[in-house]
Amino acid sequence: MAVKVLILEDNPVARSFLCRVVRESFSDTIAITEAGDLESARHQIGLTGGPRGVHGADPFKLILVDLELPDGNGMELLAELAQYPSTKIVTTLYSDDDHLFPALQRGADGYLLKEDRFEVLVEELQKIVRGQPPLSPAIARRLLTHFRHGSQGEGSAPDLGFAPPSSFTSSRPVAIETPLDHERLTPRESEVLTYLSKGFTIKEIASLMGIKWFTVNDHIKSIYKKLNVSSRAEAAVLASKQGLV
Amino acid sequence: MASRPVSLPLDTEFGSSFPDSSFETRAFERTLAAPLEPTRWMGTRLRLLVVVALVGCLSLFLWIRILAQAPHIDASWARNAQGQLQLSATGDTRLRGFEGKALTGVEIAGRVEPLDALLLQRSPRWLVNDQEREKLISQWSRFAEALEHRDVRLVFDDGSLASVQPRARGVGGLGAMFWLLAALALVLYLVAMVVLLVRPNMRNLMYAVMSVCQAGNLAFMAAETIPDLGLPHGLAHWDFAGRIAFDVFTAAAIVHATTIHPREVPGHSAISGFVWLMAAAIVSFAAADRLPGAWWWTQGAAISFGVLGIVLLSWSYKLQPHPFAVVVRRFSIVAIGTLTLLTVAVAAAEGRANMQYSIAAVGSMIWYVFLASLLLLVPFLSRSQQVMREFSLLAGISTVATSLDLLFVAVFSLGQFASLTLSLFLSLGAYAGVRQWILNQMLGTNMLTTERMFEQLYRAAREVEMEPEKTAELLSRLLRELFEPLEVLRAERPAGRTRVLADGSALVVPVPALGAGAQAGSLVLRFAHRGKRMFTQDDARLTDRVVEQLKRAVAYDRAVEQGRSEERVRIAQDLHDDIGARLLTLMYKAPNPEMEDYVRHTLQDLKTLTRGLAAPTHRLSHAAAEWKADITQRLSAAHCELGWSFSSDRDIMLSVVQWSALTRVLRELVTNAISHAQATRLDVEASFEDGGFTLRVVDNGMGRNPQAWAHGLGLGGVRKRVKQLGGDVRWSENPPQGIVCRVHVPELVPRR
Repeated sequence: MAVKVLILEDNPVARSFLCRVVRESFSDTIAITEAGDLESARHQIGLTGGPRGVHGADPFKLILVDLELPDGNGMELLAELAQYPSTKIVTTLYSDDDHLFPALQRGADGYLLKEDRFEVLVEELQKIVRGQPPLSPAIARRLLTHFRHGSQGEGSAPDLGFAPPSSFTSSRPVAIETPLDHERLTPRESEVLTYLSKGFTIKEIASLMGIKWFTVNDHIKSIYKKLNVSSRAEAAVLASKQGLV
Repeated sequence: MASRPVSLPLDTEFGSSFPDSSFETRAFERTLAAPLEPTRWMGTRLRLLVVVALVGCLSLFLWIRILAQAPHIDASWARNAQGQLQLSATGDTRLRGFEGKALTGVEIAGRVEPLDALLLQRSPRWLVNDQEREKLISQWSRFAEALEHRDVRLVFDDGSLASVQPRARGVGGLGAMFWLLAALALVLYLVAMVVLLVRPNMRNLMYAVMSVCQAGNLAFMAAETIPDLGLPHGLAHWDFAGRIAFDVFTAAAIVHATTIHPREVPGHSAISGFVWLMAAAIVSFAAADRLPGAWWWTQGAAISFGVLGIVLLSWSYKLQPHPFAVVVRRFSIVAIGTLTLLTVAVAAAEGRANMQYSIAAVGSMIWYVFLASLLLLVPFLSRSQQVMREFSLLAGISTVATSLDLLFVAVFSLGQFASLTLSLFLSLGAYAGVRQWILNQMLGTNMLTTERMFEQLYRAAREVEMEPEKTAELLSRLLRELFEPLEVLRAERPAGRTRVLADGSALVVPVPALGAGAQAGSLVLRFAHRGKRMFTQDDARLTDRVVEQLKRAVAYDRAVEQGRSEERVRIAQDLHDDIGARLLTLMYKAPNPEMEDYVRHTLQDLKTLTRGLAAPTHRLSHAAAEWKADITQRLSAAHCELGWSFSSDRDIMLSVVQWSALTRVLRELVTNAISHAQATRLDVEASFEDGGFTLRVVDNGMGRNPQAWAHGLGLGGVRKRVKQLGGDVRWSENPPQGIVCRVHVPELVPRR
């Protein structure tokens, strides 16, 4: 049975380029569905069991989402697909943390930079699917502050507009409940993030910490997961506060 | 309001601290804090002040009453060529027909007492000759005694007798000059009392003594200006003794005050004790008529005490440069100088009776008015009293004019008219020419030029905008330039507005909190113009305006900067979204890998550009991390090894220009190494030390002879950007294989 892939990209040239990247990356039979805007992407997802991925239906295994779309931002779709059982990857021209970090918080499993060479993209895509997501120094820095200040502080996307200034941490009231595990990083994970933020490669980090490189990767994966979980929990809290749920 | 404990952390962060700073600090605390003294004490003093003021008014009223009730003959007299007293006009019908005749005596109890023109002299205090003074006083007494009777018989030179009945003069007949001098005396008295009651201490007591003495002098002088012969019965003798006492005691009080203010000089009690003893001796001998040459003694004591005061003020200034000493010393020098001139003139004119009497009286009166105006100025030195200053200047110049007049007559034997004209001319010339200089010297108002001040102000505003936490430091630098104070203290406690404290020796300036990280507080400036000038209310207002302008300039700069940054972000967004998408399409459609790489390169440059536009600064360590991650990824794609090392002695913020220049230089060098030299290993060493930035990129590629390279777009760009940063770039061969590129920017940030 063919592996179903959804590519959401408004630029047709870029779309066909990404199709080539996907076909090159995997040995399986690939069935690619293309969408040019959010509307048609939602329609396609609806055909495969809706955003929550009804059991038994045949969902997309991989979704590539462009952030800048004619009828909205790819971030919206990511938020809707929080429970959707697939690997979600952001494809974008923006490589700065201001744009990427909110996408990762909304459940993206990784990101691809569109201006990279074909071979680089193929390699990166394979890594993400294998569970080796990229983590740039800027995003590592952002993650460190996010987890250091708790999930409700710095971690929220700037466009939500409720982020208090992070410099006032000392005067923040102390929470009575201890933070849940998914809101905290283990010391090892913090260490990995710190090295990443200083520009070290995974191999260098492995040798610095005296561990195997795939263990470093496991830590990164775990950090991603914690970011997703904490962001989702936070989104739920926020939604209930605002009376949306 | 309850009194609360005052704690004022004053740090002497800038400015030298004085050993006795505590005095002024206490004064500062006192004014900043809530009123510490219970209001009951204030109330008592207020009531006391009302009582004292009433006493003053009553005394004046009594004085007026005595003079108005005194018997008086309605006639005006003049001196004729023979030195006789001639009746020039009269309103009394019984004296009609006697005009032009000279009065030779008055009949008392059947005896004829002789009188002459000396009776016209108004002030025994300013008669140099002892015999003449005694004669005057006795004539005054006799004439006043004669007027006590209902019927007065006047004897004229032709032997004729006139019988007149003296009548009370009445309040209306006292003359305009009387009222003016009496009013000045009352004002001086009231000011002295207010000063004393506001803060009762020794120096204010001395001030009160001086002022009350001079008020008494003015009261006597007011009585002397009444156009009449002599003074009322009983006052004739007291006039002389009283005025000598007032003068000598004033001088003694000045000496005493200068020994304790602005600071106590060593042995102050001995000096003041000696001076008081001397003064008391002179006054008691003079009052008992046992002081030969009383006028000389009095003038000598006044002048020498004055000189002593000046010496004491200079000494005190040497011990501690308090501007009060300098300003009061200038006042004293002017007052003593004019007094000396007057004394010399009066002494020189002795013997020319018809000149001396009138001019000595007028000259001395003007000098007293001048002294009174100086005394009135002293408590208000820090408040600018334009009118008062001009008045006292005018009085001083007038004293000089009359003294010169007298001198010319005495020394050069000029005619009265000629000498008056000449002295008036000279004095007016001096007034016009020296006025500004004197005013500057009196209060030392040599300020920065406006132009220079504006320049300073705007430079400070720029710097405050950059570093708001340095507001206090920059403001203090600005005020230093403006006022040249001896020291500037910084207080945490914010002040409401600029105020002058401690007799104008200190100025408290509020420091506004401009921007994040800045703290409101206040600055205390002490001793303007290196201790030669006092702070005035004008200075306080000027400072308020300076602070206000600074605030405005910073707010304006901030608004401009915000507008610019919003504009930059918008441009960055547009560039990125529109041009970026087009370049991407172009890249995907590129006919060959070279074109694709070229477009990719352009796209990356565009991204660097837009990122630089959106973020104003980048941290060096963050930038280095990103450079490394970026190069690692590119080299691994090109199967090239990377050796990376980065070191810095401190972290700095790179400006947009620096960040984008370094990013693009590094990218270009790496591109060259991979695509042109086809290196398999690249070593990048970046270091930031002591403000300078060094970058070394070493490859093992096939590049040779860098001097012969055609500097195309890539290398030309590198050169251009390094030059932009003020650095240089050099390529050289790296034996056995490869190229070394060394970029050196000697001053990435200014050295500290």
